[in-house]
Amino acid sequence: MNTSLKILLLVFAALLVPGCLQAAEKAPGEEDTPINLVRMGGQDMVQRLSTGEIAGFVGWEPWPSIAITEGYGKSLLDSGDIWEDHPCCVVAYDNDWYEDTENADEILNRASLIQMKSVEYINSAKNRSHPDHEELVGFTMEFGGLTNRDAAELSLDNVDFVYMPNIEGTQTFIGRIMDFGIFDVDKWKQSGYQTAEEYANDLITTEYVDWAIQNKDMPLTELALPETVTIRYGYLINDVHELPFYIGWKKGWFDDVGINITLAEGAPFQNGAFQMQKGFKAGAVDIGSLGIPPVIIHRINSNDFTIDDTKVGVISGMNNEGSVIVVANNINSLRDLRGKTVGYPGPGTIQHVLFLMAADKEGLKVSY
Amino acid sequence: MKLGSGKNGLIINIFSIVGFIFLWHVLIVLAREDIFNIPFMRLRDIPTPVETWNALVGSMFTRIYGPALTYGIINHVEASLIRVIQGGVLAFAVGVPLGIGMGYSKLIGNILNPMVEIVRNMPPMAWIPLAIFILVSGGSIFIVFIGMVFPIILNTIYGVKSTDPRLIDAAKTLGASGSGIVMKVVIPSALPSIVAGLRIGLGVGWMAIVAAEMVIRSPVGLGYFIWNMGDLGRYAEMVAGMIVIGVVGYFMNISILLFQKRFIKWAD
Repeated sequence: MNTSLKILLLVFAALLVPGCLQAAEKAPGEEDTPINLVRMGGQDMVQRLSTGEIAGFVGWEPWPSIAITEGYGKSLLDSGDIWEDHPCCVVAYDNDWYEDTENADEILNRASLIQMKSVEYINSAKNRSHPDHEELVGFTMEFGGLTNRDAAELSLDNVDFVYMPNIEGTQTFIGRIMDFGIFDVDKWKQSGYQTAEEYANDLITTEYVDWAIQNKDMPLTELALPETVTIRYGYLINDVHELPFYIGWKKGWFDDVGINITLAEGAPFQNGAFQMQKGFKAGAVDIGSLGIPPVIIHRINSNDFTIDDTKVGVISGMNNEGSVIVVANNINSLRDLRGKTVGYPGPGTIQHVLFLMAADKEGLKVSY
Repeated sequence: MKLGSGKNGLIINIFSIVGFIFLWHVLIVLAREDIFNIPFMRLRDIPTPVETWNALVGSMFTRIYGPALTYGIINHVEASLIRVIQGGVLAFAVGVPLGIGMGYSKLIGNILNPMVEIVRNMPPMAWIPLAIFILVSGGSIFIVFIGMVFPIILNTIYGVKSTDPRLIDAAKTLGASGSGIVMKVVIPSALPSIVAGLRIGLGVGWMAIVAAEMVIRSPVGLGYFIWNMGDLGRYAEMVAGMIVIGVVGYFMNISILLFQKRFIKWAD
């Protein structure tokens, strides 16, 4: 064996031996057996729960409602049980687009107004005796890719649609994301933020929602921009949380205020992490809706701070709560999931962070 | 690929590695300073060697943050290696007897050749969707099996067919039976070629396992690790994982070469 080979083999052994020793030292007992989170798409979660390949999943609506109404599983925890009124999806804009667009503030004012109008429409039409209820269920089924009306109704019940951004809740999310070791420590230092509060205040502004509240009684056409602008919009696939966007789009309200919505390249995105990286960072999305944790995480981790290419601003809320931990019928507690596989949309998504929070409360470990 | 032998070879090897790392560092720094970039690429997002090294060291072992348990690279390597070994053993057990049969018997060769020739041209990655939908578990092992089995079959056939006919005639003259000829003449003669097939198969299997782990659901494995790190925007860890994939693949190749050199001394 030649010298170089010996050196390389020594290096390899040096890497392997400590790993084996560590594995031997830290062999988990039953109490430490983690719940295994495994990434998969929503459709896959439902299908794999139905065949028993996974013991449960944490997902956004409509997937939990589909699994429950089809009888594949039951709701173990609504995300509101983990954290009441937690913020979920938001509307955000790309900072590069903002700086390059002369009337960006005027556009964002109107986007917030449409968001508010859509949320108010949904919250009224949720009532089953409301004349618009049928239309709302139709929109939900179209946007969620649903064929089951019961699942659409259950989805609507499970999601709390809002337009006001939740700064305090965002601070809490930032704190928990730090606790869970998701931030790249070096990137966090580069960001210059000292506290979660400072970061949340820089990320979110309420000025556009304030403008929307002041102008909510004005006919939309009277608020139309002098010239129609085209916006490349990004959203998440089949996510009922983002129904307000779809309703504003389909009812023609964006057109009324002079905003022509086109789908951004890559949209609809599989999850918020993709949307932040392939959408906002890549400059493909001007305005979009997605979960607040991917915004928080990628504004730090994926950002090149010399050019701030992942800088986004949050202008309004989209919904609170609306995620569910769905489990097989023989599972009765989070503890029962130890050693089992649970589907989730991917690391850094809101469902990921919420699941970690639920496990933390129970003193359980989660591998991902 | 072998590293250079002798002192000069080692010095050249070291300079080559250091030079590559230096070039890598310079390219990234120039991109970040907006001095140079390759069109259609975002070179500035690639971590520097120092950032990658720090990420490698930081993510080598399992870390626990409250409820979150993130497996270390060492655990991911272990999981991927176990899958490759399982798939490899299966491929060896299936591929060698098939290859001997196809190489030694014209009838078996004629029966199986059309299937082998068609199926071997389907890349292992093309089997991933089928593995996802058909197999309840073991999808990654199946992909490794597909990647490894055909190089083993083809090299075994080649090895068997390359057996010196004079050796077979000599064995026959000395009264050896058909199975005796296969066991004592054909297999030993084909062994270097079988091991070469194993080496090629391991390379394909290792590449296939990483691709399979990115798609087939598993909580641990190098493919899963680099995909997860990409999802979290932790590009330095992602690149560190990629380098580990290369290093482990290299050592696997070297291990087979050493095995061949040590135990199959009649191989050229």
